[in-house]
Amino acid sequence: MTMTLVWQSLLAGLANSFIYAMVGIGIAVIYKGTRIVNAMQGDFAVIGGMTAVFALSSWGLPYPVGFALGILAGTATGWLIDRFCVRPMMRRNAEEDAFLLLTIGLAFTIGAAVLYFAGRDAHLLPGLGGSGSVQIFGAFMPVHAIWLIVISLAVVFGLWAFYRWSIIGLSMIAASISADGAETNGIDVSRMRGYTFALGGAIGALAGILVTPLIAVSYQMGLGITLKGFAAAILGGLANPLGAVIGGLVIGVSEAMAVVGLSSGYKDVVALGIMLIMMVLMPNGLLGHAGRKGG
Amino acid sequence: MSAPILELNSVAHAFGGLNVLRDVSFAVPRGGIAGLIGPNGSGKTTLFNIASGYLVPNAGEIRLEGRAITRDSVPARSRAGLIRTFQTPKIFGHMTVAENVAMGLYMKTRSGFAATMFRGPAERREYRRIEAEAEAMMDRFGLLPLSKTRAGELPAGQQRLVEIARARMAGPKLLLLDEPSSGLSHDEVQRLRRWIEELAAEGITILLVSHDMGLMNVCQRVHALYFGKIIAIGTMADIQADPAVRDAYLGG
Amino acid sequence: MSRLSLWIVLSVLAICALPFVLERHSTELMIFAAFYAIAGLGVGLLLGQCGIVNLAQAFFYGIGAYASAYGTVVLGWTPALGMLVGVGVAGLIALAIGWPILKLTGFFLALATLGIGIIGTILFFEWDWLTGGTLGIGGLPPLSIAGFAFDTPDRFYFLAWGVALGLLWLAHNLTNGRPGLAMRAVRDAAPAVEGLGVDIHGLRIKVFVICAMLGALAGSLFAHYVSYVSVESFTVQRSIVFLLIPVIAGPRVVWGVVPGALFVTLVPEWLTGFGDIHQMLFGLVLVVVVTLLPEGLTGLPARLGRRVTR
Repeated sequence: MTMTLVWQSLLAGLANSFIYAMVGIGIAVIYKGTRIVNAMQGDFAVIGGMTAVFALSSWGLPYPVGFALGILAGTATGWLIDRFCVRPMMRRNAEEDAFLLLTIGLAFTIGAAVLYFAGRDAHLLPGLGGSGSVQIFGAFMPVHAIWLIVISLAVVFGLWAFYRWSIIGLSMIAASISADGAETNGIDVSRMRGYTFALGGAIGALAGILVTPLIAVSYQMGLGITLKGFAAAILGGLANPLGAVIGGLVIGVSEAMAVVGLSSGYKDVVALGIMLIMMVLMPNGLLGHAGRKGG
Repeated sequence: MSAPILELNSVAHAFGGLNVLRDVSFAVPRGGIAGLIGPNGSGKTTLFNIASGYLVPNAGEIRLEGRAITRDSVPARSRAGLIRTFQTPKIFGHMTVAENVAMGLYMKTRSGFAATMFRGPAERREYRRIEAEAEAMMDRFGLLPLSKTRAGELPAGQQRLVEIARARMAGPKLLLLDEPSSGLSHDEVQRLRRWIEELAAEGITILLVSHDMGLMNVCQRVHALYFGKIIAIGTMADIQADPAVRDAYLGG
Repeated sequence: MSRLSLWIVLSVLAICALPFVLERHSTELMIFAAFYAIAGLGVGLLLGQCGIVNLAQAFFYGIGAYASAYGTVVLGWTPALGMLVGVGVAGLIALAIGWPILKLTGFFLALATLGIGIIGTILFFEWDWLTGGTLGIGGLPPLSIAGFAFDTPDRFYFLAWGVALGLLWLAHNLTNGRPGLAMRAVRDAAPAVEGLGVDIHGLRIKVFVICAMLGALAGSLFAHYVSYVSVESFTVQRSIVFLLIPVIAGPRVVWGVVPGALFVTLVPEWLTGFGDIHQMLFGLVLVVVVTLLPEGLTGLPARLGRRVTR
C-alpha cells in the first residue's frame, strides 16, 4: 500500500464528506425548525437527483433547467409533506414516535414510487465543470468534487446568515422554540413550519443533484444516505449546520480509511458504528453543549 | 437520638452560571410536617429535584436516614422510602384512576415478566391484592366513584388527589409534596390539609412546599429559602415575624 | 364477554377452520402470515407498550433463520436445537445492543436501531462463510419436534398459528399485568414512574430482548418452511414491513398484529398483476394511518361512526 493510495482514498472520502454534510445540513434545518428528525431526508436527494436525470436525458432540457427542476421538486415535496401530513398531526398533538413512523413511511413510499416509475436502474448526471480532474499531490480529484465542496460551504454560510439576520430565519427558529410565544408575537407558526420543510427539501434535492455525478442515483439509496447524513448531523450536535460539515468530514474520512484498511464492504459498518458510539457516549455531538436542545 | 430522616449539607447548584442554590443546609427530623417557603425563583423546585434524585447537585451531600444518597438514582431513593409529587401533577393520563393508584404499589409487589405471562396462582393472588388495596386507597381519598375514569380527563384538583393517593400507596417514609394546593378550591384545600395531617399521624414525615400560607400553617417547622440560601427556620408565626423574611418578601 | 374477546374467539375459530376450506396456495400464504404475526408481535410490544420504534427486526429475523440454516445444514444439528440457538443468540445480542442504546429515546433510538439493522444486513452479506452470502444456504430439513415432522403445509400451518396464538396470549397477559401497567405508565409520565421505584431502563431491555427472540423464532420457522435462506429476506425494507404490522391495527392492543400480518401478506398477493406497486401502497398505508388514523385501520369504523352521530 502506497501513500498515494491512501491520499487518493482520502480525497475521495473528502468529496463524500460534503455529500453527507449536505444531507446532514438538511436534517439539521428541519430539526431546528420543527424538532422532528426527518428520516426521509435522503429521499429528497433521490427526488432531486432523479428529476434532474430525467429532465436531462428523457426530456432533453438544458443542464441549468434540469438543476432548477430538481431543486423545485425537492422544495415542493417538502412543502406538501408539511401541508398534508405534518400539519394534521400537529393539530392533534401526535407523539414523537408518530412523526418518526411518518417519515419512515414516506421514505419507504418514495423509494417504492421511484422504483415503480423510474425502474431499478441507477443513473448518473454529468458533473459541473465537465468530467475533468485536477491533480493534487499525485492524486486525482474530479472538478465536480471541488464544485461540490464550494457549493456546500456556500450553503452553510448562507444558512448561517439566514438564521442570524433574516426575519424569516429568526421567525422559523422562534416558532420551533416556543410555538405559543411566537404566536403571540404575530408569527404564523404553521407557515414557518411549511417554509422549514420546503427549505429542507430544497437542500436535500441540491445534495442529490450534486451527488449524482459521483454516485449513481437509484431508488434504494434514500435510507442509507439519510443515515450517513444523520450520523454527520449527530456528530455536529444535530441543530447546527456547521457542525454537520465537521460531522460529515469525520464520517467521510473514517469511511475512506476503512476502505484502505479493511475492505470496501465494511465502510458503512464503520460509519454507522461511529454514529452509534457517538450517540451513546457524546449525545451532544463533537461541539459539545451547542447541540440537541439548543437552537 | 436517631438521625434526621433527610439532611442536606452545603448543597449548591448552578444552571449555566446562575447560582440557584448556594450552600443550603437543613435537616428534616423524623415525624411531623416540615415546610419550605420562598418566592418564585428562590430554588424550591431545584431543591426538591435534588432531594428526590432528578438532579445531581454541583456540590454538597444528601442523607436519607443518615445514609448518603447524593448519587443514588431516583428509583433507588424511592425504594429507600423517599416519594414525591410534582408541581404540575404527573399522572398517567391514558390510564384509569384505579390503574394510576395501583401503580403506587409497584415496589411492594413482585410479579415479573415470566409470572405475568403465564399467570401463575401467585401472580393472580397478587393482582387481586393490588386491586383491593387500590380500591381501599381510592375510597379513602374519595376517588372511588371515578375509578374507571381516565385520569387525563379529570380536573386539575382531582389529578392532584390521584397523585397523592398513588404516592401514599408507595408506602413512603418521607413524602415530598410540591405545591399540592395549587389549582384546588378553598374546600378542597381544607380537605387536603386534613389528609396531610392524617398522613403525618400515620408516621409519614412530610416536607411541604407551598405558596399557600393558610396551608403552610400545618407545618411544625418552616424553612424560608431566598435566592438559594436558607434565611430563617422556625414555626410559621416565627417566620412571618422574621425581619429578614419580611425584607425578602416585601422589601425586594 | 367484551367486544374484543368475542373477536378473539371468532378469529381463533376461523384460523382453526381455514386449512379445511382453503386451497394449498392460500394455506401457504396463511403460514407466512403467522411468521409475520410473530415477528410483528415483537415490534408491536416495543411500539405499543414502550413507544420504541425498532427498525432492526429483520436483523433478528435473520439471526434466527441463519442459526437454523447453518446449524442443521452445515453442523448437522436437530431443527429444535438450531431454533433454540437462534433464539438464544438473538436474545443475547439484543441484550448487548440494548443495554447501551436503550438509554436513548425517540428519534435517536429509532435511528440507532436503523443503523443496527443496516449493519446487520451488511454483515449477513459479508460473512459468506457463515451465511452463504447472496447464494444463501439451501436444503434445510423440515422442522420436526420429538420425531413428529411438520412436513406438509397443513401440519406447518397448525404449528405456526399455534405458536403465534400461544405467544399472543402470553403477550396479552404481559400487557395486562404489573409490567404492562408500568410500561404504559412510562408513556404518559416517565419521571413519575421512576419516582415509584420502577427501573425503566431494565423494563425496556426486557421488552427489547423479547422482541428480538420473537423475531428470531419467526425467522427460524420461516427458514425451515421455505428450506432456503439468503440475504434478500433480511433487509431494512423487511424491517419496515414488520413495523407496519402493528401500526395497521393500532399498536396498543397486541391482538392487532393478526389483522396487520394478514394485511401485509394478502395485499401484495392481490396486487401481483401490478408489479412492485404493493411496496408503494404499503408505504402509503403507513403514511395515511399515522397521519389520520392514530388508532389504526381497525379504529376506522368507530371513527366514521363518531363522525356520523356528531
